[in-house]
Amino acid sequence: MATSSHPAVLAGGRRLSLDRLRHAIEVSGGLAWRSLILVRRMPSVFLPSLVMPLFILVATSGAFRGIGLLPAFGGASYLAFTIPLALVMGAGFAGINAGMTLARDIEGGFVDRLIVSPAPRITLIAGPLVAAGLRSLFTTTVVLIAGLIGGVGLPGGVDTIALYLLAIAFSAASACWAMGVALRTRTIQAAPLMQVVVFLAVFTSVAYAPRDVLTGWLATVADLNPVTYLLEASRAAELTGLGWAELWPALVALSALLIVLGTWALTGLATLGRR
Amino acid sequence: MTLALRQTGALARRSVTGTLRTPQALVPALFFPLVLMAIFTASFGNAPGNIPGFPPVRGFLDFALAGAIVQGILIGGTSAGAAFALDIEGGFFDRLVASPVSRMAILFGRLGGGVTLAMAQTVLFVTVGVVFGARVEGGVAGVLILLLLAALMAVAVSGLGIILALRTGSAEAVQGTFPLFFVLLFFSSAFFPRETMTGWFRVVADVNPISYLVEAMRDLVIVGIDPRPTLIGLGVVLALATASVAACWWAFRRRLAATA
Repeated sequence: MATSSHPAVLAGGRRLSLDRLRHAIEVSGGLAWRSLILVRRMPSVFLPSLVMPLFILVATSGAFRGIGLLPAFGGASYLAFTIPLALVMGAGFAGINAGMTLARDIEGGFVDRLIVSPAPRITLIAGPLVAAGLRSLFTTTVVLIAGLIGGVGLPGGVDTIALYLLAIAFSAASACWAMGVALRTRTIQAAPLMQVVVFLAVFTSVAYAPRDVLTGWLATVADLNPVTYLLEASRAAELTGLGWAELWPALVALSALLIVLGTWALTGLATLGRR
Repeated sequence: MTLALRQTGALARRSVTGTLRTPQALVPALFFPLVLMAIFTASFGNAPGNIPGFPPVRGFLDFALAGAIVQGILIGGTSAGAAFALDIEGGFFDRLVASPVSRMAILFGRLGGGVTLAMAQTVLFVTVGVVFGARVEGGVAGVLILLLLAALMAVAVSGLGIILALRTGSAEAVQGTFPLFFVLLFFSSAFFPRETMTGWFRVVADVNPISYLVEAMRDLVIVGIDPRPTLIGLGVVLALATASVAACWWAFRRRLAATA
């Protein structure tokens, strides 16, 4: 007789899995908190992820202001056009930070200690993922405030929430990429690889100009790049109001990114403990 | 004197070989400028002829070439400084100082290595540009002046890296200054014309010496040999290089005095 068919055992099994889930959530929360307090204890790790989007916002909108005079920009201020780029870069950096922290933890032996503890393995990814999302809330707020200082008002309530949610989703995708790299290379020296790929993904999209303005190879690459659809949705939210026409391609692109990069991180997690 | 020159040559050769054998030092100086040049060319390809204030130019690639060259030199200069700091960290610098090698050779060897790499980099970037359709209106003479400007710029930037290496003795500290160079580059006319900028950003670009160097190089590519911008660029970079070498020598003497 199969024991699992017994009602009492089934209930016990459910309780067991609920306990495990609660335990996993508690450990993930603890790891996310640990990752967040590192911001205060090691500002040198977090500061670049805050300074870079601000630098990109100021430098890009100042240096390339002229390109915004093309009719394809529809008279929008180039600073307002650049805000979504800075938001995406801030979110990307928040995600990269998750990978760098994990790589440091692997090098320092913290992950080894966690593996031999009863904590579920998935928390190694879930904790930093939550922290990356929370950090992106912070970078998004800072960039929006910088925009306000530069004279670009906040979009409507729903559009502002959309900007935050899109940034959180991209920070999760970047975190999965960076953690996948960290779990495979197990060294902080892989940080440039984590960064370069996110940089290239963002800058080979509609980072500086809308698709109508792009020429040559970039016109084709941007069409295929999921970040294009994220940026277009973010720009619609910032400039005109986010509609379904921009939202659904962004949702498809982000879902595809999260599935592929989530699998990349999970398969990396499976290699832990193997040498 | 001949011996000092031979020693300088040997140390410059060591510096070049060291960089060629360290891909993590070489790749950023080649990869980032070329990738950014490709991205900017494709992003801003519609700018020439359609934006008020944009200079007449055959295509954006011609316009972007000078910015890529200067960016490569800035990254290469930081690497030269970091390599010098590694020599200090590893004790090679102390062994050199304790040997009968000329003091000048220790400094100028590293600077010579930086200049050689910058010139090779410039030739490579111009070649890549021409292969993808750019044209240097200044012809062969224009390329030679471009190389002279690149060499002087390399002296200025490598010198700055060496000063930081001598003062801090830490490769990490020298590498940490890299973002500052990036800020200097973006707040100049390296990637877009000053005529299209406004407000405080325009003021910063106007006082940024990088603007004048890039514009001198750019003019050789998109206009030809025009004495005015070339001489302004030459004057600016010569002043920077002279100040950098003088400060380098001062920092070198100070370090020697401190360790004596």
